Amino acid sequence: MAKESRASRRVFGQTQAAVVLLLPFMAVYVLFLIYPFFRGIWISLHDWNLLAVAFNPDAKEFVGASNYIKVMWGKNITWSAWASPTLQILGAVGVVASVVLHRGRRLSKATALAIGIGSALFFLLPGFHPGEEGRWYDRRFWPTVGNTLLFVGFTVPGVTVSALILAAALNRETRAMSALRTLFFLSQVLSVTVVTLIWQIMFSPRQGLIANITELFGGSPIVWLTDERFAMAAIVITTIWWSLGIAMILFLAGLQDVSTDLYEAGALDNATGMKAFWYITLPNLKRTITLVIVLQIILHFQVFGQSHLMTNGGPNDTTQVLVRYIYQTGFRDSELGRAAAMAVFLFLIMGAFSALQFVLGREEE
Amino acid sequence: MLNRGYYWLVLALSIPAFVWLVPTIWMVSLSFQPNDVLARTTSSTALGLVPIPFTAENYAALFTFGQTPLWFLNSVIVSLGMTLGVLLVSATAGFALARLKFPLKTPLTVLILIGLMVPEQAVFIPLYTMFADFGWHNSYHALMLPRIAVPIGVFLMMSFFKAIPDDIEEAARLEGVGWLQIFWYVMLPLARPAMMTLAILTFLYAWNDYLWPLVSAQQREYFTITLGLASIQSNFAQSEGLGRVMASGVIASLPVVILFLIFQRYVVQAMTVGGSKG
Repeated sequence: MAKESRASRRVFGQTQAAVVLLLPFMAVYVLFLIYPFFRGIWISLHDWNLLAVAFNPDAKEFVGASNYIKVMWGKNITWSAWASPTLQILGAVGVVASVVLHRGRRLSKATALAIGIGSALFFLLPGFHPGEEGRWYDRRFWPTVGNTLLFVGFTVPGVTVSALILAAALNRETRAMSALRTLFFLSQVLSVTVVTLIWQIMFSPRQGLIANITELFGGSPIVWLTDERFAMAAIVITTIWWSLGIAMILFLAGLQDVSTDLYEAGALDNATGMKAFWYITLPNLKRTITLVIVLQIILHFQVFGQSHLMTNGGPNDTTQVLVRYIYQTGFRDSELGRAAAMAVFLFLIMGAFSALQFVLGREEE
Repeated sequence: MLNRGYYWLVLALSIPAFVWLVPTIWMVSLSFQPNDVLARTTSSTALGLVPIPFTAENYAALFTFGQTPLWFLNSVIVSLGMTLGVLLVSATAGFALARLKFPLKTPLTVLILIGLMVPEQAVFIPLYTMFADFGWHNSYHALMLPRIAVPIGVFLMMSFFKAIPDDIEEAARLEGVGWLQIFWYVMLPLARPAMMTLAILTFLYAWNDYLWPLVSAQQREYFTITLGLASIQSNFAQSEGLGRVMASGVIASLPVVILFLIFQRYVVQAMTVGGSKG
């Protein structure tokens, strides 16, 4: 009897303790993450002018999906398979490749599905274009999404390849190697404003270090940040310099799990150096590489500071990216409803990649 | 193991490592050169990488006028406040989810897991309108609050508390110690390494955050150093002088760089956790 009541008291005590301990987190979590998330969807369904609503809370009007249509759609939009052939062929090839590779058991189900769906979108989405007398309601939205994808498309492979090579080379527990790792990682802890400050001046045609070096060799300096051909490249270079460290660290963590026996066995078969990297390191790091790539897509799709501070989205919108467009639409044009609709779009893309990251992480375990 | 190939490798890697460091060296070097010299040329000595002619005037100027000291202080307050908040709510919630049995535990865990998928950039507009309704903008709590409930913190603490062997807790329970006491006196002291990792992750994030302070703090008195630096870098050449802006950049980076150099192991761990899960 006594034992039983003590046990039941203990269970009751556990629930009570759990409530007390969970309450602070859940309160802040619901108030500042869950609620704002749904409120964002709600705002996106309204014609909501930032200034008008600030003066008069009733100045918003429910408009349904109108903001989404204004942002993403247009007049007389048609679809054809050859609207932008390069992207669409790439997408079609991707779909076929994911099916073939999955059949041949070269890709796991999740990876194949992800690549397949992604490629299908590449085939479908660029096919939409304004027909005769047609136009997009928002001319800047899709080009902005395109710029963001371009930025991700250059930055992610750039970071991944260089970080992978560095990690493989630095994977030894000696003082010199650990010092070198520190040097490569250092830029990662700087804030976006410090990074853009440094690189804005690095790229400056009059005062910049790059211009100074070019002049040393008799070349004429490039006007990096205001030239349409180079502005995106400048932002990509800056970002690679800034964020190489985290990818390198994740690869080094992955390399810890590759058994040294494999390299010893490989050395017997004359597989050292480049050969060992190609035949032992890469295949064993497959999972880590996929995770690092997905992680970086999520991270860099949200790029804002580099574009906002270095180029102001210019020249001629060539470095305008999605988060900066959301920020401008909301806080410069005061069009909160449309900005919120774009934020929902951003969330859907990010959410898909987060889900993929989660599935891949689980597969590992 | 340390053969000649190894030394060649170190040598070969030192070159890219130096190149990688050059932009940072350049910032530091420019911050120690006189503004009137910089207005003429930025490559006085060794392409400007060595601060000759040398002056410490830019740093002295920062602390006599301008708002850099105030912004620095704001950043310290906001970052420390956010770090304490995250530690408190994550440690308590993490312990409850890892070690207590209670109804609705699984749905709650899933609800928190879903939060990992919501990026800050997707909620900053509704957060802005909320805080505007409360009249909270331009305050320290407005800068801190939105990032206190981070799911990643809870999962980090949860996985740590799960790994603690049962017998430590059972011994305390046999003594009749209550759950809150077990948490405070037994578990929390054990959790120091995990809390250190989480603290550094949060501090780095808070110190470097740009988007939320940009929309929330419109008055210059509430700028963080990251935001303040952004506000002066666009017109550096005319008003402040290149050397002084660079000195601001160095001051803004100093705490995180020092933190990194002292607690490198934790920083790397924090980045790995933050990177691989959220």
